[in-house]
Amino acid sequence: MNCEEIRNLMDPYLDGELDPVISQRVEQHLRECAKCEGAYEVETAMAHAISQTAPYYKAPRDLRAGIQFSLRQAVGTTTSQAAEETAPLQVTPSQVTRRGATFAMPWNWLALAAAIILAAVIGATLLPRLRQPDAAQVLATQLIANHVRSLMADHLTDVASSDQHTVKPWLDMKLDFAAPVVDLAKDGFFLVGGRLDYLDNHAAAALVYQRRKHFINLFIWPTTAVDSKGPTVMAHQGYHLLRWSDSDFNYWAVSDVNIDDLESFKQLFEQQTARR
Amino acid sequence: MALTPKAQHTLETGDFESRRKIVKFAVVKNTEGPHVETAELASFEQAMLPHLDAAYNLARWLVRNEQDAQDVVQEAYLRAFKSFGGFRGSNGRAWLLTIVRNTSYTLLKKNQSVYLTTTFDEETHASSHELASPATILEHAEDAKLIKNAMNELSVDFREILTLRHQEDLSYQEIGDILKIPTGTVMSRLARARAKLKECLVGNISQEK
Repeated sequence: MNCEEIRNLMDPYLDGELDPVISQRVEQHLRECAKCEGAYEVETAMAHAISQTAPYYKAPRDLRAGIQFSLRQAVGTTTSQAAEETAPLQVTPSQVTRRGATFAMPWNWLALAAAIILAAVIGATLLPRLRQPDAAQVLATQLIANHVRSLMADHLTDVASSDQHTVKPWLDMKLDFAAPVVDLAKDGFFLVGGRLDYLDNHAAAALVYQRRKHFINLFIWPTTAVDSKGPTVMAHQGYHLLRWSDSDFNYWAVSDVNIDDLESFKQLFEQQTARR
Repeated sequence: MALTPKAQHTLETGDFESRRKIVKFAVVKNTEGPHVETAELASFEQAMLPHLDAAYNLARWLVRNEQDAQDVVQEAYLRAFKSFGGFRGSNGRAWLLTIVRNTSYTLLKKNQSVYLTTTFDEETHASSHELASPATILEHAEDAKLIKNAMNELSVDFREILTLRHQEDLSYQEIGDILKIPTGTVMSRLARARAKLKECLVGNISQEK
């Protein structure tokens, strides 16, 4: 490929939108041609300026409360009950108690049973989003919840360090297994720190990596005989989840970075751990 | 009525048609059972509130001031909740950002005279562009104030595409879905946006000197 063709491909190359073969040809040209390499450096600097130097405006504190308030106004409830983040399936308690007061007559038992069944059926049909079909789904929901909580509650890390040799001993001390911690900074995944987490009824190590403005939580725990198989890639509520395992550990990476970045994160991590 | 005073205040200061809409909306919604709504609200909030920062950041770059951005986001969440029943996709963030973008444009069009006139000065920027060496650009690309000013000088379609690509890290496909344009157009618009940003940056560097 000549320089002009390369210049035309530079933008999709920068954005990671080229297929691997063409991408490799561009890469090779950039290594050999100082002029194109210089131009590419400027392009990268502009992209970096927007993602790292330009401000990322976080929502003001009051805004969240304001939105929750107006949503409650919209559905016509202002009870504190509605403010619960995850309302469990509520089977109209008022109905049950009212009927319960007059259950001396046998047919009222039937009516009560019918009411409960009806409520359950209505609940099951009208609230499909609250149903959790299988173990993988339950775990995915848990993983995302832990990921989101780690970002919201100022509890991203228990040990904040970009040095794997600080994070690893700290985790080893707290857990009864030695989770691998690797340095991927040269590939653009910066270690932010580590955290103890609890998932699927056991303790897990959570490693936090940063990719541009986005965080990746990598949950690690020892493999067991009864691990859920399930899908290896999932997209859920705007997050991507990626699962893999080796002879010792289960890995779940959760993030809102695009799936390609998460895949390459997985590959890099696997390469590093395989070397041990 | 257990209303927190702070929340009420936020609502009252946001005059962006939100109050009128709430009333209309409440009437429609009340025909359904209250428990269904509560559960739907819970699942909506669980799916969408984690993307609040992304929503605010996009709105803030589009309308370029804090108060309007807050109003836009509040209004967008109400709109999103209204059509949440029709949302079947897996990418909640992209779906929400589409609504935030549309809501931002509603406001921008309303205040057209103020917002859609760009402060970009074609002559100063164009002439100084050729004078800047790559070294100068690289040197100033990490100056937060220069970058922010240069971003704000761009037209709204450039600001939004740069935010979606480089701050939200979305793919051409996702951006194309949000902006309702083909991925080829995403690519060329992004290229032009980055080139223009570079131009604005260079222009501001030479003005500073």
